[in-house]
Amino acid sequence: MLKFDRFELENGLTVLFHKDTTTPMVVVNTLYDVGARDESNDKTGFAHLFEHLMFGGSINIPDFDTPLQRAGGENNAFTSNDITNYYDVLPIQNIETALWLESDRMLSLAFTDKSLEVQRSVVIEEFKQRYLNQPYGDVWLELRDLIYKEHPYRWATIGKEISHIENATMEDVKAFFAKYYIPSNAILCIAGNMDLADVKQLVEKWYGDIPSEAKPERNIPKEPKQTEFREKTIVRNVPTNAFYYAFNMVNRQHPDYFTIDTLSDALGRDKSSRLYVSLKKEQNLASNINAYITGSLDEGVLVISGKLNDNITFQEFDAALWKELKKIQDAPLSSKELSRIKNKIRTSKEFQDQGILNRAMHLCSYELLGDAGLINKESELYQKITNLDIQRAAQTTLQRTNCSLLKVKAANNAE
Amino acid sequence: MLNRSISPSLKAIENIDFVAPEKHVINSYVDLYHMKNVPNETARLDLYFDAGKCRGSHGIPAFVNGLLLSGTDEKSSMEIQEIINGLGGFFESGTSVENSVITVYCLRENLHQIFETLMDAIENLAFHDHEVKEFLSDRKQRHNINMEKVSFLAQREFQLKLFASDHDYASVTELEDFDTVKREELIEFHRKHYLNGLSKVVLVADVEKDVISNIISRCLPLALRSPLMHITDLKNTSGHFINEKSGAIQTAIRVGRILFNKKHEDYLDFLILQTILGDYFGSRLMSNIREDKGYTYGIGTALSEFKETGYFLVATEVRKDVRDATLKEIKKEFELLQNELCPSEEIELVKNYMLGQLLKSADGPYAMTDLFLSAQLQDKGLDFYNDAITSIHAITPERIRDLARQYLNWEEMTIVAAG
Repeated sequence: MLKFDRFELENGLTVLFHKDTTTPMVVVNTLYDVGARDESNDKTGFAHLFEHLMFGGSINIPDFDTPLQRAGGENNAFTSNDITNYYDVLPIQNIETALWLESDRMLSLAFTDKSLEVQRSVVIEEFKQRYLNQPYGDVWLELRDLIYKEHPYRWATIGKEISHIENATMEDVKAFFAKYYIPSNAILCIAGNMDLADVKQLVEKWYGDIPSEAKPERNIPKEPKQTEFREKTIVRNVPTNAFYYAFNMVNRQHPDYFTIDTLSDALGRDKSSRLYVSLKKEQNLASNINAYITGSLDEGVLVISGKLNDNITFQEFDAALWKELKKIQDAPLSSKELSRIKNKIRTSKEFQDQGILNRAMHLCSYELLGDAGLINKESELYQKITNLDIQRAAQTTLQRTNCSLLKVKAANNAE
Repeated sequence: MLNRSISPSLKAIENIDFVAPEKHVINSYVDLYHMKNVPNETARLDLYFDAGKCRGSHGIPAFVNGLLLSGTDEKSSMEIQEIINGLGGFFESGTSVENSVITVYCLRENLHQIFETLMDAIENLAFHDHEVKEFLSDRKQRHNINMEKVSFLAQREFQLKLFASDHDYASVTELEDFDTVKREELIEFHRKHYLNGLSKVVLVADVEKDVISNIISRCLPLALRSPLMHITDLKNTSGHFINEKSGAIQTAIRVGRILFNKKHEDYLDFLILQTILGDYFGSRLMSNIREDKGYTYGIGTALSEFKETGYFLVATEVRKDVRDATLKEIKKEFELLQNELCPSEEIELVKNYMLGQLLKSADGPYAMTDLFLSAQLQDKGLDFYNDAITSIHAITPERIRDLARQYLNWEEMTIVAAG
């Protein structure tokens, strides 16, 4: 049972406090309710570019990193399609340095031309390093575009193309900040060995005078229901053919979310899962195969991906895969299978909860879903899932008309 | 009214509690280290073997490591996986230059059964033909994919030139190794380096003595029967080694040299020097090459350590057209440290940063165990970290400059670029 307190400032900032008496460190985690899904389709990659600019100095402080490092701390941030998350980890006696820095950049950024210019270049190099200059690196750029036709999940957080990043202007930056980086659109979590009264006093001191603004409304186009199987083949300079089957699934708030997550575990979490055993070990069709869900807040996908063995065609693999998917729809999992999956979920959860940074980030994510207390119900929800629930989820999810298939064909691999 | 332009006052880190795991003797050369203070149900078990890449060639150490759960005469690989996964266990294994490490993560209630399964799998490994064939084919595919990555190509070339003085350390896996390796070679390596090569056991879990005694008695037959010995001297080949890769849009760069490890008297102060140069976000290389010029997403330095020696490296991936400009800037940063005294403000910052990071590295049973192991691997105890605190407090700008003059000479570096 993970304990926490919650309070809200008058300007709308939600604050969570998690007490941990065993650590000499403190975590200050800030989640902003903005991600790549909030971008317009001609200015993609912006939420992530903006995350970089958050380190380029704020209204009263020329540089974010230096004072935090001087306080013995370190920090980082990530942007997803749904959220942007910033964290600082530092010795607890210097917590005010983190609150000073984080509150000042929530108040206002410095908006220097130099910072925008440099971070554009840095992000373009990140684009190349992670997406363009890696074998299979651009798969998710292609796959998202195949899965989504209307919803902004159709582009990756890095953006659709480099030109969108090149064309970002200071005006765009300022407008983005004004709209999303406001107290009512943020959740702050402090975790460490402190007392609630001190936390309240410090947060009020540093964040209390940030002006209040109404939380921005979100109007994201809903993805129309897929009615036909989709397929796309791309040819790349890679040594091996690869496959990505993506099945539409429910959103994060839906009661079936955890069931479909468990279904993906049954199919391809580890070397005992169905697809690994059947398609790799028994039939020797693939050299590796995994199944997982994207875990997004709006409707995401369950993905089955892997690489073909050298002498196997896409068609041979496809036939065998659908046969295996039919089995999990036709008969429930054995109780042994289900208990294996649940045991793994229990172990992961126990390990995840051990780091104070993880706990702070998860509390913020759950608060975004409506209640940080949901963090304590997650295990029970997983443990309650029955093999019939999974069978039902398999029947509704693993349909051909609900599937998008991306094939990556090796340029020199004649099939 | 709050004055936001003034930073809150800082409090220094006075002392850090370093907690050593309990040591249990397996035999005269091999110990088990047990960290008991775990406030939850988690458990981690590491088995170290003297089966690193330097103990073999043609990829054999990595192949045997990857085949450890591939089955016995009694159990297939799938049956072994089923037991470990069924108990909610996570298995990892890997080889570094000097070690092979097997790790399981699980809940402590399942530790005993997973451990027994693991030991049985290792002791009775059968190297079934079909498993070996499948494994090599998968690894060959992975090798081909890796050879498309500029970072992999640069690291591979770097290793060849860095360890050029020693054939065993410099060996890398070649494409033909996947086809030519013989089952007998794998069996022989396994016999020599696993069945008789256990060098250390580490357990992080709140478990009682009887669990420990069982692990000790089960491990004893595999334990090394002579002291673990490793090379003391390596010499890198200096110079520029540039590999063009058609189609690449970035170039991976590695610059480095053989240096030393924690046993050397200059180690701690050099660690401060290399932090200033490139081992934190505000470092000189990051400030210059990322934050000022935008050439890269990231650049960093590291001291990589072996049992008796070690090496220093700079690593980055940059825009293809700025390869030479980047090398010039790295060289310039080396020279700046040699020619100009480091401003005291910068030294203060790095001192505080390093102390904060050390505090974090000692936080919690898992981090603390890893911190302990990092010293233990080089026959050092936790006193080493108290010495580190002393060194950090005592460092001077002159000392940093002198170390830069002694160890950061461009002519002595191995400089590799791929892309």
